[in-house]
Amino acid sequence: MSAVTAEFTVAGQHRSDRRGPVRWIASHLRRHPLVLFAFLGGSVVMVVLNSMVPALTGAAFDAVLGDGDGRARELAIVSAALLGVIVLRGAFDLVARLGSETLAKRLEREARDELYVSLLGKSQTFHNRQRVGDLMARAANDIRQLSHMVNPGIDLIVDSGTQGIIPLFFIAVIDPRLLLVPCLFAVAFVVALWHYMRQLNPVSTRMREQFGDLNAGLNEAVRGIEVIKVTAQEPHERRRFAVNATRYRDSFVRNGLIQARYLPPLLLAVAMAGALWHSLTLYGAGDLTLGDVVAFMGLMGLLGFPTFISIFAYSLVQLGIVSARRILTIMNTETELDRNADGHSGTMRGEIVFENVTFRYDDGEPALRGVTFTARPGETVAVVGETGSGKSTLTKLVPRIYDVDSGRILVDGVDVRNWNLDSLRSQISTIEQDIVLFSRSVAENIAFSLGQRADRADVVQAAQDAQADEFISELDDGYDTVIGERGVTLSGGQRQRLAIARALLTDPAVLILDDSTSAIDSATEDKIQAAIGRILQGRTTLLITHRLSQIRWADKVVLLRRGELVDSGTHDELLSRCALYRRIFAHYDEVDVPAPVDGVEATGEVPGEMTVDTDGEAGRRTSANSEKAVAGDTDGPEEAVVV
Amino acid sequence: MGFILDGLDVEDYDRSYGDRELLRRIGRYFRPKLPAMVLVAAMIVLHSLTQSAIPLLISWGVDRMEQGSVSDIGWPLAGALLGIGVLAWVFNFFRQWFSAKVTGDVVLGLRTDAFDAVLERDMSFYDEHPSGKIVSRVTSDTDEFANVVTLTMNLLSQVLLVGFVTALLFFRDVQLALLTMAVTPIVMGTALAFRRVARRTTQHAQRSLARVNANLQETMGGISVAKNFRQEATVYSEFRPINRQNYAVTLRQGFVFSGIFPVLFLVAGLATVVLVQVGGSSVLGGRLSAGDWYLFLQAVGLFWLPLTSIAAFWSQFQQGLAASERVFALIDASPRVVQEDAQPVGRLAGRIEFRDLTFGYEPAHPVLTRFNLTIEAGESVALVGHTGAGKSTLSKLITRFYEYSGGQLLIDGRDIRSFDLREYRRQIGAVPQQPFLFSGTVADNIRYPRPDASDEEVRLAAMRVAGGDWLEALPDGLGTDVGEHGRALSMGQRQLVALARLLVQDPAIVVLDEATASVDPLTEAQISEGLDVVLAGRTSIVIAHRLSTIEHVDRIIVLDHGRIIEEGDHAALLKAGGRYCEVYNTYFRHQSPDYQPGTGFVPVAK
Ligand SMILES: Nc1ncnc2c1ncn2[C@@H]1O[C@H](COP(=O)(O)OP(=O)(O)OP(=O)(O)O)[C@@H](O)[C@H]1O
Ligand SMILES: Nc1ncnc2c1ncn2[C@@H]1O[C@H](COP(=O)(O)OP(=O)(O)OP(=O)(O)O)[C@@H](O)[C@H]1O
Ligand SMILES: [Mg+2]
Repeated sequence: MSAVTAEFTVAGQHRSDRRGPVRWIASHLRRHPLVLFAFLGGSVVMVVLNSMVPALTGAAFDAVLGDGDGRARELAIVSAALLGVIVLRGAFDLVARLGSETLAKRLEREARDELYVSLLGKSQTFHNRQRVGDLMARAANDIRQLSHMVNPGIDLIVDSGTQGIIPLFFIAVIDPRLLLVPCLFAVAFVVALWHYMRQLNPVSTRMREQFGDLNAGLNEAVRGIEVIKVTAQEPHERRRFAVNATRYRDSFVRNGLIQARYLPPLLLAVAMAGALWHSLTLYGAGDLTLGDVVAFMGLMGLLGFPTFISIFAYSLVQLGIVSARRILTIMNTETELDRNADGHSGTMRGEIVFENVTFRYDDGEPALRGVTFTARPGETVAVVGETGSGKSTLTKLVPRIYDVDSGRILVDGVDVRNWNLDSLRSQISTIEQDIVLFSRSVAENIAFSLGQRADRADVVQAAQDAQADEFISELDDGYDTVIGERGVTLSGGQRQRLAIARALLTDPAVLILDDSTSAIDSATEDKIQAAIGRILQGRTTLLITHRLSQIRWADKVVLLRRGELVDSGTHDELLSRCALYRRIFAHYDEVDVPAPVDGVEATGEVPGEMTVDTDGEAGRRTSANSEKAVAGDTDGPEEAVVV
Repeated sequence: MGFILDGLDVEDYDRSYGDRELLRRIGRYFRPKLPAMVLVAAMIVLHSLTQSAIPLLISWGVDRMEQGSVSDIGWPLAGALLGIGVLAWVFNFFRQWFSAKVTGDVVLGLRTDAFDAVLERDMSFYDEHPSGKIVSRVTSDTDEFANVVTLTMNLLSQVLLVGFVTALLFFRDVQLALLTMAVTPIVMGTALAFRRVARRTTQHAQRSLARVNANLQETMGGISVAKNFRQEATVYSEFRPINRQNYAVTLRQGFVFSGIFPVLFLVAGLATVVLVQVGGSSVLGGRLSAGDWYLFLQAVGLFWLPLTSIAAFWSQFQQGLAASERVFALIDASPRVVQEDAQPVGRLAGRIEFRDLTFGYEPAHPVLTRFNLTIEAGESVALVGHTGAGKSTLSKLITRFYEYSGGQLLIDGRDIRSFDLREYRRQIGAVPQQPFLFSGTVADNIRYPRPDASDEEVRLAAMRVAGGDWLEALPDGLGTDVGEHGRALSMGQRQLVALARLLVQDPAIVVLDEATASVDPLTEAQISEGLDVVLAGRTSIVIAHRLSTIEHVDRIIVLDHGRIIEEGDHAALLKAGGRYCEVYNTYFRHQSPDYQPGTGFVPVAK
């Protein structure tokens, strides 16, 4: 039924019917037949018993107002029957209410579960488009709305609906002719309700959307609080929030207005008057007793509850359906990737080949254009280029976070699109530029990459390799210190080192380092690099960095410019033949002051010497693309105009 | 059972308020709405009057019918019933409409206050509390609060209805009226017993919703990590217990609220039985007219049902109180950054002086101890030192994100604590290492500090950063949509936008915390040329791991574990052969394109 592709699925998960909000909700509710039965059955029995009450009071009237001697005894019998009915009514009432409550909360739980799994299965492209705050509003509040829809919403409808229908039978028992007025009322009620729902629908939809916007705006403000504070833009944010909140308020009031215009209570008043008149006519004709009239009016009075409560109940149902639609929209969004369970899987050697790869985000300009290069197993390839030239984009294509638009990427000779996604991604580790840590303990953050299935010794080892062990042990609770959301309580360099530890733990076949040491001083960086070299001996590394000290290590350097590959080769080759490359690094750190006293008194660590580590194998090939070398130097004079 | 509640502890700024105080504060939000409230109340009174008029009318009719004069009362009776019904609808219309307005406005007021509070909290608050939970308070809890408002309105109408009916009953027959009343204490007692449970279960439910929110925010915000490591299953397995807990906790809450009505309804039902028996006997004994008896039986509906609603109200009201308690706790959380005064700042010259300053994120672990540093107005200073040395901490103190515990921080010779904070911060430009962008276009973000900046100013600012070349790489130039948090830009581009944003702000003091760490050297060089011009005349503090960035500053300060160990300009420091040379040897030396292993050392004197 749900043909939506997903990168992630959970085995054995219930497959719901996602063709429409009502069907979807129904398919969830059907999963709990017993509870559903308790709810519906309990409600019906309860209402039947309930409508016996006015009949019995009517009987009491007849008993008392009748003539004969046994009037007191008759009254006592009626009272006893009434007692029984009321106790039973209570019991069934309780069963029904608890049943619907259980149903509501289970719906909430399962719907949220389903949405969550579905969100995890969506591609990165999808997530790029979403606002986190809006997703939160959907998964937390909209789903809670579903639960409100069942209880009290549907609960009240079933309850009041049966309460509205069953009196009709009793009325028929008194005299079928009396059904005239209530039936006319029922028809008018349904029409008015239909009209009401139609009016309410757009308003409810807008209300839920505005709630999502409100939440998204708020979430963004909270995340960006530092910028807001330092630029003193609180008034601006306050205004922005007020606009969103006011919009929501306006819809709320509009909603209230539509509810206020709800017609059925007015219809009921007409019906009551009509009923009284009708029954009095019949009474006048001698067809009814006074007790009958009293009972009939009492039964008519029972229609009052369903009528009044229906505003509330149907509004909740309306909101629930709107919410369900919002949730379904997310779940039914097609994304381009699936987990490709039947695809190739196996141990990765680490050969990466880009063949004429072109890729664009959304429909914009290509971020990569015809990129071709090869990384042999065990090689370290440095990707360099100016800001925005497509380096990060390139690395995201290897673990198939995005799919290429044309050309192909082969890992171990197999197109990444033919790899089993599990197998592909779990053997490639990326340390992203934009580091995300979770607000939990340091150890859990590191062990995240192995799904928390790593023992403490491995975690510590990974931390040591990433040069993180030292500062971790200085923290209050060492590895059990809980760090703040997004790692805010750590300094930039500390964060990066945790991310490196996290990636090293997985022992990947391919390691991607995206500018992951930019906040780390070079000395520490060298140590990390040495550790990586040791651990990942024979593993392929894609390295993005702006530091020459790092680039020199690489077996090969790939130079990008505006998404195109300009040249590739070793550092020395590029330095000698590529103007753009020289230009980029020309400004780099060199002092002209000191008298070069060769390394004599150098203190402490002298990481310069470590560079030989990987120099061994992995020959230096000249790139096929070297003819593009000139391309870089075309844009005008050195010093771009700067005020 | 304890495990069900794991992770639902109170947060440290949560506090419990007495019901009276809560009500008083809630009352404050209603006060400006007084006219509307009065109108609503009037409508409620009128509506209740119509409601109680109906049984009166019928009871009168029944008495008449007993006397056998049906024909002359049929029409008027039905007509009156209709008239009353129409009036009731009209009253109800105004009541609903205006109460929606009141509710909307009151919730809006509370929400705005909560948001103001969010803006007022200082950074340590955000370090400690997941933002998902904070968000949950401002939107979800205030939403829950809306229920209180609606309920309060309904309560009023129920109370009035009960009042009318009671008066009516006493007017007719004191003895039966007393009998009807007899059950009241039982109903109220049951309701109050539910109250405690209701408050507690609601608190748990709201906290667990906050947990769901926090989890969602974190995992959806960090989804790329889960993808990279193919750990969706782990993420999911962490979410499941949270969702299951939410189920357990809300189910309990639901049982309390769903259970209360059947119980109260049962009590009312039992009372009906008593009335039928006792009332019927009275009629038989001739002490009561049949019409009155009918009236009393009707009164069960009219009297006890509202009464049970009032009773149930107490427990539902708790739901709203629990929610508003959470919102008020957020509003009342005491700030750590305390301004003693709010003096106007004027244009700052930019002299910064740390005097014996002591600071630690946690008091037990000072990052800076009796720290002394003076930066002259207009001076440019670079901070170097290894990670965790406290460089960023200095900048966060200057922006006054955190409160220090000892010593003084003087700006232009005036205590930073005496400033009007907003005016002060407007003159501080800070670019953090991971710059945050708001969703919108590049231009929107550059304009952010000064919403009234013209398009031309924005364009100029963008051109002043690295010559504006970077704009060409963006699909729509300044109009490019940056995505949430700037996700649709490369990291370096985000830093460039943040720099341009700083230029629009026109600050007196500039703090660049590795503001160009993700930018390639060429672009960076272009930036620094531009910045030199821009920063002239402003005090600037630069934190960087690259020599090219710090070479040209007036003074370099080497920090180690929160202490200054060396200062001076680049040349002097290199000559001195001290710690800076070590730093140079280890950090910078081999960044040069012409570097040869083992060469280029600067001698260290020791
Ligand atoms: N999610 C996205 N949606 C749309 N466009 C994007 C997205 N991510 C990046 N881009 C664009 O693609 C281009 C290349 O970005 P990329 O992140 O690959 O650059 P980069 O070389 O890594 O730069 P940097 O050195 O600054 O990290 C940029 O122009 C950027 O604006
Ligand atoms: N919000 C915080 N809460 C608690 N501790 C913090 C917080 N921010 C930083 N720290 C700690 O304070 C110390 C100094 O951190 P700071 O960010 O100033 O270092 P830094 O010199 O800027 O390092 P880097 O070069 O890595 O950015 C570190 O040990 C860090 O763990
Ligand atoms: Mg990048």
